[in-house]
Amino acid sequence: MSDIHKTVVVTGIGVVSPYGMGMGRLEAGMLSGKSCLAPCHDLYPGFSGSTAQVYELPFLATGTGSHLSRTDRLAALAALDAVTDFDHKCVAFRESGVVMATTVGGLSEIDPEIGQDSAEWYRRGGLSRASTYPVAHVAVTVAERLGMRGPNCAVSVACASGAMAIALAANLLLDGAAPMMLAGGSDALCPFTLSGFNSLQALDPDPCRPFDRNRRGLNLGEGAAALVLETLAGARQRGANVLAVLRGWAMTNDASHPTAPHKQGIGLAACMRSAMEMAECGPDEIGYVNAHGTGTPLNDVAEANAYEGAFSERSRPVPVSSTKSYFGHCLGAAGALEAAITITAIRCGALFPTLRLTNPIESQSVDWLRGEVRRQPLPLAMSVSAGFGGSNAALIFGSERA
Amino acid sequence: MTVRLPAITGIGSVSPHGPLAGLIPTTSVQPDIIAAWTTDGVRRAFLVKKFSPASVIPGLKTRRLDRVSAWALVASCLAIQDAGIDLTEVDRSRVAVVCATGFGCAELTEAFFQCASVNGWSGTDPVTFPETLANAPAAHVALVHDLRGPNITVGSKTFSSESALIQAATLIRHGQADMAIVLAGDTITKAVYSWYEVANLLSPACFSLEPVPADAGFVPSEGVAALVLEPAGSREVRSYAGLRSGRWAAGGHPAEAIRQMLNGSIPNLIIRAGNGAPCATSPSDRLAGEIAGYGVPILQPQPVAAGLAETGGLLHLILALSNRPGSGQALLLATSGENGFAAIHLELP
Repeated sequence: MSDIHKTVVVTGIGVVSPYGMGMGRLEAGMLSGKSCLAPCHDLYPGFSGSTAQVYELPFLATGTGSHLSRTDRLAALAALDAVTDFDHKCVAFRESGVVMATTVGGLSEIDPEIGQDSAEWYRRGGLSRASTYPVAHVAVTVAERLGMRGPNCAVSVACASGAMAIALAANLLLDGAAPMMLAGGSDALCPFTLSGFNSLQALDPDPCRPFDRNRRGLNLGEGAAALVLETLAGARQRGANVLAVLRGWAMTNDASHPTAPHKQGIGLAACMRSAMEMAECGPDEIGYVNAHGTGTPLNDVAEANAYEGAFSERSRPVPVSSTKSYFGHCLGAAGALEAAITITAIRCGALFPTLRLTNPIESQSVDWLRGEVRRQPLPLAMSVSAGFGGSNAALIFGSERA
Repeated sequence: MTVRLPAITGIGSVSPHGPLAGLIPTTSVQPDIIAAWTTDGVRRAFLVKKFSPASVIPGLKTRRLDRVSAWALVASCLAIQDAGIDLTEVDRSRVAVVCATGFGCAELTEAFFQCASVNGWSGTDPVTFPETLANAPAAHVALVHDLRGPNITVGSKTFSSESALIQAATLIRHGQADMAIVLAGDTITKAVYSWYEVANLLSPACFSLEPVPADAGFVPSEGVAALVLEPAGSREVRSYAGLRSGRWAAGGHPAEAIRQMLNGSIPNLIIRAGNGAPCATSPSDRLAGEIAGYGVPILQPQPVAAGLAETGGLLHLILALSNRPGSGQALLLATSGENGFAAIHLELP
């Protein structure tokens, strides 16, 4: 990774989370151990459970007149936060590309009546709201807001989307497709997904307990995160502040079941090994793993098995935590938010524990982080994501000095 | 590191031409009358005729899948078959699936909304929900063929197909996959068609049985196209085209960016891949002339592919290759709005 033209670095991070706007609030909230999960009864009649919502979303003008979904607004606000200190008029910025992930997209704007008489629903005001439905809309919104004219695409790979957007943006950067790439994910809470996960009996009515033997399911949250990626050469040329180095990334698929992960976590383990190969590091060098850790019975066992497969050669167990215990599963935004948290862990030397983890799954290869925040230098850390359809993604970040 | 140039070695499609392996016979198809839902007068679109996937690929199970998922499975099988690949001989952890979609699994998404409308959000169907996700088609392709490499679903305004093809080529070039199945497609549903109609985007040809000029506007289309990409020369096999490079962007200076991508090469053929929506009025022909000279032959977009508004690029390419365009360098070119473009530099054998 010595070639500065092939080294991908992070030079901006923007976040909208249930803690509020910006990395500062996210970091302070997580360091304090505060959980944003709270009882929710108003997302649709009959629903009762725990969610983490973003309150007091800052105003965002609709600009050119096109409707913005809540997912679009979250994405645009995170993207604006990521480039606060950037010169928006410089050529490199304007030629930059956008890869944004979403699974919900504009579904939050559509009413069930569309299933009965779509034409009538459009005529009653649904037309512009439905225009936010195509997957690509969130990426277009961000690019238009920021004036980024480079390659533009959205990624929708269920819960691995956010991490995969970062991996694909890094690929495009190495391909020379743009001088900078803004990559991340955004998803809003909405009845469609809440109802879907509820129908699958995947939700814990109480705040979730990832990796606990008594876990009962996941909670949904909402938010967005965006990372600015560029080559180290590009960052140095413009004197940018390097926040972290993206040392390795990989994507795999389980190809075993439409929704359930592979029980032994073989695909996820292969993904983590590939990412370590790209990062040219061994399992012992990974100081922390930010887990997918949804809190569902199937995911957490498969994931624990995956860590056995990827880290069995370590001299001591690898520290792992699920930060979904703080503000739930933000679906397409999760991988991007967790990438931001992983970078924060590196920069602060702070390993965030899994909240409410009292009786962890037994694992020889994992040191389940719980209780207090653990303080230690962290040169390299990994963030892993997985999703319906068997998709897996792993990202390895290092400090700018690593 | 050696740069690995990808080549197209297999083609499959499920389109209004039917389910086909390889090139598509160069016969034109006409829009069909929509009968799947009640319409107020004639409504037409390029439709995929109903067929049993198991009659094309014996044993293939597609019950309870969205049509896009079912068609993606059939198209991928046909493309793999066309490439002459025996998957048991392939390291399937190194095979990627990259899928482009505009509207995702619109059919089952509508069904899910309908269920919510009738039963309330508390009474939705758990079997339908996972099949509404945009990545369901790519996931089913991976599952059926046991493909364990990167599995990616993307959407890019107007250029979803081109974006998927470029990103699949990138995976091969950077050694992140040894083979990729690239898919692109969408389905027409009542809600999708109504949206076009209420937004006044449809051609008069959609409302009439009388012939109208071919360039009169937008007739929606549906289907899924599939390509197999492999590093050129990795097997002794026919190549339809090599992919030398590709770029797409939402704006900027298209001619300058494409010339930079071509790195001094001048294509002797332009394959236009426009969509049929109003934004397709952008000046593709002028851009083609700026890049390759104003006398360069241009294969114009065919309505059946143009109707796949967000995902027509692969079908445009297959139809162009089916026209036996000869050898040499070609440029697949699409534009959107003032300065949006997608360009893929091809080497035709």
